[in-house]
Amino acid sequence: MKRSTDMAVLSLFIFFLLLSFLPIIFMILLSISGGWPWPDILPSSFNARSWKYVLDIHSGTWTSVWTSLKIAFWATFIDLALALPAGNALGRYEFPLKGFLETLLMLPILVPPVVILMGLHRTFISLGITETFFGVVLAHVVPTLPYMIRALTVSFGKLGFEWEEQARVLGAGWLSRLFNVILPFLMPGMIAGSALTILISMSQYIITLMMGGGQVITLTMRMFPYINGGDQVTGAAYAVLFSMIALILLIFMDLSLNRLYREKRL
Amino acid sequence: MDLRIENVKKQFSSERDFILDIPELEIHKGEFFGLIGESGCGKTTLLKLIAGLLIPDEGSIYLGGEEITGIAAENRGMAMVFQQDRLFPYMNILDNVAFGLKMKGLTKNDRYARSSEFLSAVGLGGFERRYPLELSGGQRQRIAIARALVTNPPLVLIDEPFSALDPNLRREMRDLVLQLHREYGMTTLFVTHDREEGFYLFKRMAVIKKGKITETGIPRVLYESPGNLHTARFLGIENIIAGSLFENRFTSRGSCLTVSTFSERKKDGFLIIRPEVIGLSKSSDVEDENELKGHITGIDYSSGILNLRVETSPDSSFMLTCTALDRELRIGDKVKLFFPAGKLIFLPTEGS
Repeated sequence: MKRSTDMAVLSLFIFFLLLSFLPIIFMILLSISGGWPWPDILPSSFNARSWKYVLDIHSGTWTSVWTSLKIAFWATFIDLALALPAGNALGRYEFPLKGFLETLLMLPILVPPVVILMGLHRTFISLGITETFFGVVLAHVVPTLPYMIRALTVSFGKLGFEWEEQARVLGAGWLSRLFNVILPFLMPGMIAGSALTILISMSQYIITLMMGGGQVITLTMRMFPYINGGDQVTGAAYAVLFSMIALILLIFMDLSLNRLYREKRL
Repeated sequence: MDLRIENVKKQFSSERDFILDIPELEIHKGEFFGLIGESGCGKTTLLKLIAGLLIPDEGSIYLGGEEITGIAAENRGMAMVFQQDRLFPYMNILDNVAFGLKMKGLTKNDRYARSSEFLSAVGLGGFERRYPLELSGGQRQRIAIARALVTNPPLVLIDEPFSALDPNLRREMRDLVLQLHREYGMTTLFVTHDREEGFYLFKRMAVIKKGKITETGIPRVLYESPGNLHTARFLGIENIIAGSLFENRFTSRGSCLTVSTFSERKKDGFLIIRPEVIGLSKSSDVEDENELKGHITGIDYSSGILNLRVETSPDSSFMLTCTALDRELRIGDKVKLFFPAGKLIFLPTEGS
């Protein structure tokens, strides 16, 4: 009885593992294929044409990666600036309409982004910041901010007031409290929120397209036309590159989080 | 250092009907002083006012003759131990204990050496590199105490630190605190709602009720001659009988007892009878002066002590305690109670 349940769980596990890995394997194979006629399981020939193009300094790939990262980091920075006071208020204080406000701040991830985008686009046009780098950064703040606020609300909730009280009676002034108490408590939330922000910002397409008006070219913007028809082999190479960058960022964030959690026992 | 509180008042906007009002309180240098009262009576508020975590609406606080009312908590140099240990979870034990010394600007070597010494003093030498979450509640509270004492503060404030610990551990911790007090002689202000803890620890204590100090004194004296009903009730005296005193006779519901207080005119008030002063004997039929006949309606036993409830008439009963040694008592047993006149305390109704 137990054996058969174990087998069922194991096969289910393998099934989902394959399900999530197959597209990646497929993508890698596609990116190095020279031709892949329909019924074949494996490509008929392999070459590095797409990778040569994608990694070539003149193809614009690296500029777009740089743009993507810049946008992601700026969005994270603005998110942090907005979410720190918001998380402080929601996590540590009680005030009228708190629940309503919390829901309101979550709206950008409840309402389909395209709906928000229309209003946002009109507003940005009247402000004259469409087709600018700054405009795209601001637009990326909209879908990412709720995650950052959520993460920081939890961290501020953990911080409360008692730890600062404790530090004060031990003689810690505000600067000492910031470095010895507040930041250590907020760091996990800040890292988790930043990781989500960066990943969500990196994968934005429609928002970047509309707000940037084709002038702000991120990695997603470069990749999309290839995947959408033009040259799927090159598209696959871009997709693999994108995944690698996202993975590296995620591992980096995860390692810092683990360091905090394991070594510092937060 | 002496702590003096003068006319301190504090009210919270969220609780309009509560006001902490302390006209005067003085704690002497090196004293182990207690604040005792039910939860919500304002004892923690008073502690936070002294620590500087709250600012009084009115009044002044002096430490060693100098006014500290306007000084921020971090500059008062006191130490406070809270109900929860509040050890920083991301710092190891040594860094936690050394935190106050770091804030004072001691070098790493000096503060670690001194912190290790205090860790040993609370019986946790060798725990320097551990983290708070690896330790038990009692161990953590010991470290919180070490962290408070390591800076050699002029005043240590302790807020019910053992209420979350189990009874045996609580006793051990009380002994530890007393031992540390003997060793380092720090002026200590300790808050509790537990009268057993109060009797065990405090040299002097103040009983607080609804934001006001009702009485201050030596715990045993307060118990044996309480100055008001609240002190009597809070310290565990359940026999409080309403009646009236004339000459040296106290009358209540037809029964009459001789007391040592004398009043020339009839005075309404309460007779306070501590449970251990009442004498108990198996009934012989004669009823002398200051004796009442009755029967046992409740018995409970704890660690060699019997707590009895004896009903002497349908509407009056007494709580008494006696040692369980060689006594076989059952519910329903007929007994005789003896009330020694000199141990009965008469408190006149306020204003009469």
